[in-house]
Amino acid sequence: MRFAKRIGVASAILTLSLGTQAMAEVSCGMNTGQAATGAPILVGGIYGNAAPGDWSSSTDSAAAYFACVNANGGINGRPVDYRVENDQWNPEAAAQAAARLVNDTPTVAMVGNGSFIEMAVNANTYEAAGIMVMASACAISECFETPNIVSTNQGPLSSNLGAAQYAVEELGTRHVACIGLNIPNNGIWSCQAVQDFMRARGGEATAVLINPGAPDVNSALLEAMASGADTILINQPAGIALAILSAAEEQDLRDQFNWIAPTPLYDQSVPAAVGAYWWGHIYVNAELAPLEVNGPDAQNWIAVLDQYGRADDPRDSFGQAGYLSARFFTEAMLAMDPAQLDDRAAVGAAIRGITGYTSDLMCGPYYVGDADFHMPNHAGYMVKVVEGGFEIVRECYEYDSPYFEPHIALETQLGLR
Amino acid sequence: MRQLFHVTPSGWAGLGTAAFGILILPSLSNSYWLSVFTSMGCFLLAIAGVAFMYARLGMVSLTQVGLMGVGGWIALRLNHAFDFPFEVNLALAATATMIFGWILALPALRMRGLYLALVTLMAAGGLEIIFATFQFPNGGAGFWGVQTGSGAAFRRPWIAQSAQAYLRYVIACALLGFLCIELHRRLQPGRAWALIRRSEAAAMAAGVNVTLYKTWAFGIAGLLGGAAGALLAGSLGLLDDGTFRASESVMIFALAVVGGAHSWQGALVAAALYKVLPAVLNIWGVDANLSFVIFGAGLLHAVITAPQGIAGQLLDGLRRLSPKREARDA
Amino acid sequence: MRLARYGNWLLWALLMAAVIGVLGWGGRPQMVGLFIASGLAVGSLYALAGIGIVVLYRATGVLNFAGGAAGAAGAMTAWQLTAWGFWEPLGWLACLLVATAITLFYGRLIAPRLAWRETVVKAVATLGFALIILGAISFLWADDPRSISLPTDAVGVRLLGMRITATRLLLFAASIGIVIGIWLFLARTTIGLQMRALASDRDLAALMGIPILRVETIAWAIAGLLAGFTGLMFADLIRLEPSVITFMVIPGIAAAICGRLENLVVVLIGGLSMGVIENMLTMSPVLRGVRPIAPFVIAALVLLYYQRGQRLTFGGRD
Repeated sequence: MRFAKRIGVASAILTLSLGTQAMAEVSCGMNTGQAATGAPILVGGIYGNAAPGDWSSSTDSAAAYFACVNANGGINGRPVDYRVENDQWNPEAAAQAAARLVNDTPTVAMVGNGSFIEMAVNANTYEAAGIMVMASACAISECFETPNIVSTNQGPLSSNLGAAQYAVEELGTRHVACIGLNIPNNGIWSCQAVQDFMRARGGEATAVLINPGAPDVNSALLEAMASGADTILINQPAGIALAILSAAEEQDLRDQFNWIAPTPLYDQSVPAAVGAYWWGHIYVNAELAPLEVNGPDAQNWIAVLDQYGRADDPRDSFGQAGYLSARFFTEAMLAMDPAQLDDRAAVGAAIRGITGYTSDLMCGPYYVGDADFHMPNHAGYMVKVVEGGFEIVRECYEYDSPYFEPHIALETQLGLR
Repeated sequence: MRQLFHVTPSGWAGLGTAAFGILILPSLSNSYWLSVFTSMGCFLLAIAGVAFMYARLGMVSLTQVGLMGVGGWIALRLNHAFDFPFEVNLALAATATMIFGWILALPALRMRGLYLALVTLMAAGGLEIIFATFQFPNGGAGFWGVQTGSGAAFRRPWIAQSAQAYLRYVIACALLGFLCIELHRRLQPGRAWALIRRSEAAAMAAGVNVTLYKTWAFGIAGLLGGAAGALLAGSLGLLDDGTFRASESVMIFALAVVGGAHSWQGALVAAALYKVLPAVLNIWGVDANLSFVIFGAGLLHAVITAPQGIAGQLLDGLRRLSPKREARDA
Repeated sequence: MRLARYGNWLLWALLMAAVIGVLGWGGRPQMVGLFIASGLAVGSLYALAGIGIVVLYRATGVLNFAGGAAGAAGAMTAWQLTAWGFWEPLGWLACLLVATAITLFYGRLIAPRLAWRETVVKAVATLGFALIILGAISFLWADDPRSISLPTDAVGVRLLGMRITATRLLLFAASIGIVIGIWLFLARTTIGLQMRALASDRDLAALMGIPILRVETIAWAIAGLLAGFTGLMFADLIRLEPSVITFMVIPGIAAAICGRLENLVVVLIGGLSMGVIENMLTMSPVLRGVRPIAPFVIAALVLLYYQRGQRLTFGGRD
């Protein structure tokens, strides 16, 4: 829809110049209303946009928030120069993006990263360079199990657990078939956690893996059917998830199973794309507050996107996560000694020092802490796909799994519990 | 013997380019360009293999990137299983890929032209699926050696720990690859290949063992591809199946033709088009999708207008500039 | 000779029965049925892609890698028109037209400039064209979940307790119908005769005064129509993602190889067998992870089987 994008940008500029007053008040950084003019502070971000998925919504929202911060006094008068690179789902391009943003540019931190492979390639680079990454749309284990990356989103593991827990408690699930991608640090990692969880709850789970290069998903669906499961967990990016759902619709399997999914299906274009057949039958875990909650921070995010983003920047969970990462980063920077804003180590220490930041977009507090693993966000909502949108079926709940024991210990130590 | 070690003007130019690459280029490059040039060096080696098969024997291999994946897989597997230094891993990976190339070649060699190309394309398609299914070893247990969470470190050569030194190392390896091809060309195999290229019947009649020399050529392409894959693994520390799609193998062959398969300059142009052009477009802020369009259009244009490849065009241009050379060549 | 041909068919039937028997052993018959039905749909798509490739290759000598990309462009256009609220059949028609226009553009404007190059170079040049189309589509339509559905999706028949949509039946019937149609076209019409003449010897055909340009244009148009139809069906049955549809040509080439790039019936049977075996592999715990490899392995085995007994000598032209 780039046609729409081009037109959208033009009209956004027009409305911006004609009627700023008519728009909702935004709150960004120091809220001075004065554009920041000082020496820029360099911040980087890497997103992945190529087949089979576009993860740029997190950096898009972060960029909009930084633009808003810059128009409102910046960070003590200094604007944020936010530079983003596309890793194109290609490991070499990902390494080159990090080389450019981390080694060749004196960026103080990375914010809003969203990718399927970038973190696996660059985790060691980040550690060696001593730079903190406040990622937003992370899909692989490295995002949550390495020292220098902290992600605002939950990733497939947590989100799967949330969905499976809801299914066990509310839908009477005994046997889950987890249809994941055959990628070790994504599908296998996150389906394994569901298997552990189901075993702990006295049920069982079967992992059904799809080769990302294979076009046909129907055989995986049939394999899930053959496993004897009563619930199908579609642990996939939205595109492949839609393909699975349409294959299931074709064979009229809707009523034979419960259908659950992690966050990627929480996208405003999904209800229309799946069609009326599925309305009321798919339960999706939302890692961050759904749009329906519409708290002050959620409204601010939309207002920031309306005024500083592009018209077609996606309004989805990963966009929320990008906004939140940028907001928390800005808060940490504002709390720092202004003399140290260009010092990567000092900024890193300030990020590690983040504790107890809150937002109505997140169920729990946001923190980083000095650990080799980070997953501040492990509580979420459950929503149901309905006509024209989503309906909340369960408010904030914390996921119950042994995986989170070290996280809970860290939270106790930080005084967050 | 003098003939064997005679350095042609083109050879001098090649050695000069390599010296520039080893001595000057790394210190001029920042981290981004070091990374770009290092991958370019790896793919240069792979392209040298595919261009050599095409130029010397007219054989089309559409599986060269797949062979790189095999070499990279073996290098990673050895690295995580044993404590060998990088050079041993590199040598073993290259040798094993050479043997893999032979195995692939034996049934394929009954075919010629398009069918040979297609059977190698099928191999590339199969390898793509295998890489996507089993992934590349990253320090896990078992034969496939894959673990979740962050992977173990990949040991680089001890003389090339830094990015600069590693770029030098890769260029030196690429130079060795080209010298290996040139050496073969000047010895018995080169004469046999020339005869086979002209006519297999004539070659057979002259007592050349056609099967042996064709297989040999496949092996060399495998050796270079395997070494390239191992070097790429050393550059990134890990590999991803996305690099080794069948379409990339086709692309590498297309670029080898576009660059010009008959000269080292052609391979260099091809590798630069494959790795440097996208990097430049990225710096200019061109949308990644649009750079696909530019890339494809450039490929078509070059195939249409430059029968000897871009390198051939450039060399012709140079010759035209120096009338003396032309007279001497004539 | 005739005996050998029946022998081949017999061998194929035995092998298929053996593969299905071994893989399906112990599984519920209903599941086996579902896998076969699912495989026939995928196989029809492989076969259709292969048929387009073979028709074009025989008539023009170009092995076209860009068919998938043309189909993807068509399918995206159809989606866009439907999203803008146009009447759906208009979208389907646009899909066929766009794919045909793109393919004809290449056939008339670019392919002639490459006529003097080797077959393989002509083939890889089409990959450059495929990249241009894919890049342009991905630029115009940013990645987003999309789907196309045809009215035939809502209609279905129940067979052994499973539901098979009319789309799948239509696709299966269409792939057989297209093979028969093209066979009749080649056998009964003047253009078909000329196409066969071009296929058997281009130079000689040119000397005989066959209007090469016209015949080639028709071949490109047929290939474009087939690409558009395959793209639309793929988008409905598998998924609407341009890159996936574009690289569908590689298994399509595998199907084409089964028919030695000439025999359409064998391409059809080969494509269908590939789809069925690929799906049946799901029943094997060991091989289920690598099931998409089936088309490539089958094509390579078929090529080797065709070459059996041949010695490495002075074969004619490729």
